[in-house]
Amino acid sequence: MSEHSNNTMVELIKVSKTYHPNIQALSGVSISIRSGEMVFITGRSGAGKTTFLKLLCKMELPTRGLVEIDGLDIRKMRGNNLSYLRQQIGVAYQDFKLLTDRTVSENISIAMEVSYRKPQIIRKRVKALLEELDLSDKHNSMTGDLSRGEQQRVTLARAVANSPKLILVDEPTGNLDATTTARVMEMLIGLNNSGATVLIATHDHTIYRDVEHRLLELRGGQMHQLRDGVMQ
Amino acid sequence: MRFIFAVLRQVFKNFRQTWLSQLMTLLTVSLSVFIFAFFYLVYINMLSIGDKLGYDLRLIVYLEEEPIPELQEQLRRKILAFDEVEEIYFVSRQEALERFKVQLGEDQDVLQDMPEDFLPPSIEVVPLKNLRSLNQVKLFSEYLSKLPGTIKVQYGQDWIERFYYFTRLVSIIVVLSAGLLILTSVFMVSYKIRLTIIGRKAELELMKLVGATNSYIRTPFFIEGILQGLLGSTLGLVALFGLFYWIKIKFSGPGILNIFEFSFFEPPIIVMISIVSILLCLTGSYSSMRKYLRT
Ligand SMILES: Nc1ncnc2c1ncn2[C@@H]1O[C@H](COP(=O)(O)OP(=O)(O)OP(=O)(O)O)[C@@H](O)[C@H]1O
Ligand SMILES: [Mg+2]
Repeated sequence: MSEHSNNTMVELIKVSKTYHPNIQALSGVSISIRSGEMVFITGRSGAGKTTFLKLLCKMELPTRGLVEIDGLDIRKMRGNNLSYLRQQIGVAYQDFKLLTDRTVSENISIAMEVSYRKPQIIRKRVKALLEELDLSDKHNSMTGDLSRGEQQRVTLARAVANSPKLILVDEPTGNLDATTTARVMEMLIGLNNSGATVLIATHDHTIYRDVEHRLLELRGGQMHQLRDGVMQ
Repeated sequence: MRFIFAVLRQVFKNFRQTWLSQLMTLLTVSLSVFIFAFFYLVYINMLSIGDKLGYDLRLIVYLEEEPIPELQEQLRRKILAFDEVEEIYFVSRQEALERFKVQLGEDQDVLQDMPEDFLPPSIEVVPLKNLRSLNQVKLFSEYLSKLPGTIKVQYGQDWIERFYYFTRLVSIIVVLSAGLLILTSVFMVSYKIRLTIIGRKAELELMKLVGATNSYIRTPFFIEGILQGLLGSTLGLVALFGLFYWIKIKFSGPGILNIFEFSFFEPPIIVMISIVSILLCLTGSYSSMRKYLRT
C-alpha cells in the first residue's frame, strides 16, 4: 500500500450527485477522512447522507467529481477489484437489505462466505457477534420475524462480520432503546479502536453528543464541519 | 482451494433449496438422452445387420451375348462411371453352365438334352459395402439395365431394399431425437437456472454488494449444469442398458432376433454422449447467466 493510502481512507473532491430527473442530492462535496477515523454525519432528512455513503461503495456513481477509497478511484473499480474492495467495506444499510426468509445466522454469514472463510470460523464469529449485540437467542430466527430494532442489529452484525477496514453505518440506532444504543456504540467504538475507519450517518444527537469524534453536517447538498475530531 | 470449497458449499445449499425442480430437470434430461440413445442404438445395430446383409449383395446383369474383351472394358468403364464398386466379374455362358451344374449336383443329367449355351452370359457387380452405395442399389440396377446389350438386372430380395429404406427412416429419427435432446437439455437447464436466479434475486444482489466475485456467483450454476448433464446422461444410458439387457434375455434362445448379435454402445460412444450432454447443459446455464446475471 502506498504512503497516501495509509493516511487517507476516503477522499471526495468536488463530488456532485444528481438523481433523475433533477434532484440535486449532493453538490460539490469535498471531504477527506483519514484511515482510523470515526466520523459522524448528520443532516435533515433528505440531506443526502445515504447518498454520500452509497457513493463510497459504488452503489451509486457520482455525477461529477472524484471519489477515492484507500487511494483507489471508485470509477475505475470493476469486476474482481470492485468485489475485493467491497469485501473490505462493511455497510449497515438504512433499509437493512436483509434476506427475510433466511435465518439471522445465514444473513450474517453471507458477508464472510464471499471471502471464502471456513464454516467453523464463520460459526464462531456469528456467535460472538450475536452475543455482543444481545441477539444470542435469535440465532435461528427468520429475520423477517424480528422487530425493527433487532433487524437493525443483524444488519450491523453483517456489516462488521468480515472485519472490514471501512465501516459505513446508516442510522444505526433509529429503533433502539438507550441501553441497546449504548451497546451498539460500544461495539463501533471498539472496532474503531482496533483500526477500522467508521462513518456513521445519523439524526440521533445522543450518540455523538458525548464523544469527541469529528462531526459533519450535510446541508443544502454541501458538507459542513460542525466539530473537529480528536484522533485517538 | 478455499474458493472451491466455498463454491461447493453454495452448490449444496442451492440444491437443498431447489432439489425438487433440480430433480425434474434431471429427469427431463435423462429422458431425452434415453430417447436419443435408444434410436441411435437401434440405428447402429441396423447398420451392423446391414453390413452382414450387404456382404452377400451383388447385382447380376444378364447380357444378350458374350462380350468380347474390348466390350468388357467398355462396360467396366460404364459401370464405374456410376459409382465405385467392390468388384466386377464377367461370367461367360460356359462358366454359367458349370456353376449351374455344380448347383444341380446329382441331378445334372437333366441338362443332357439342352444346348451348351442356353444360359446367358452375365456381369456380377458387387457394390461397395457402405450405406450410401447400398442405399442406391435400386438406382444402380436401373442404370445397369440401360446399358446396351443388357437383358435384365437381378439383385437380392425385395426386403433388402426395404431394409435399407427402413434404416434411412431410423437415421432421420435419430437426427430428430438428437434435436429433441439439444432443445430439452438447453432449454430445461436454462429455464431452471433462470427460475433460480429470479427466485434468489435479492440474495444475489446482496452478495454482489458484500463483495462476492462474479466467479463465486456463477461457478455454482456452471457446476449445476455439469451435474445435470453428467447425471442426466448417466441415468438415461443406464436405463437404456437395462432395457437392452432385458430384451436380450427375453429373446435369447431360438428365435428370429437371434440370427443377429445385438450389441450395446462402445465405451467411446458412451463417453461422447455424456460429454455432449454436459456441454448442452452448460450451454443452457451459460445462456441464462448471460441474460440474468449481467454485471
Ligand atoms: N434513487 C433515487 N432516485 C431519485 N431520488 C433519490 C434517490 N435516492 C435519493 N433520492 C433523493 O436524494 C435526496 C437525498 O436522499 P438521501 O436518501 O441521501 O437522504 P438522507 O439524508 O439519507 O435522508 P434520511 O435521513 O431520510 O435517510 C432526497 O431528496 C431523495 O429524495
Ligand atoms: Mg438516509
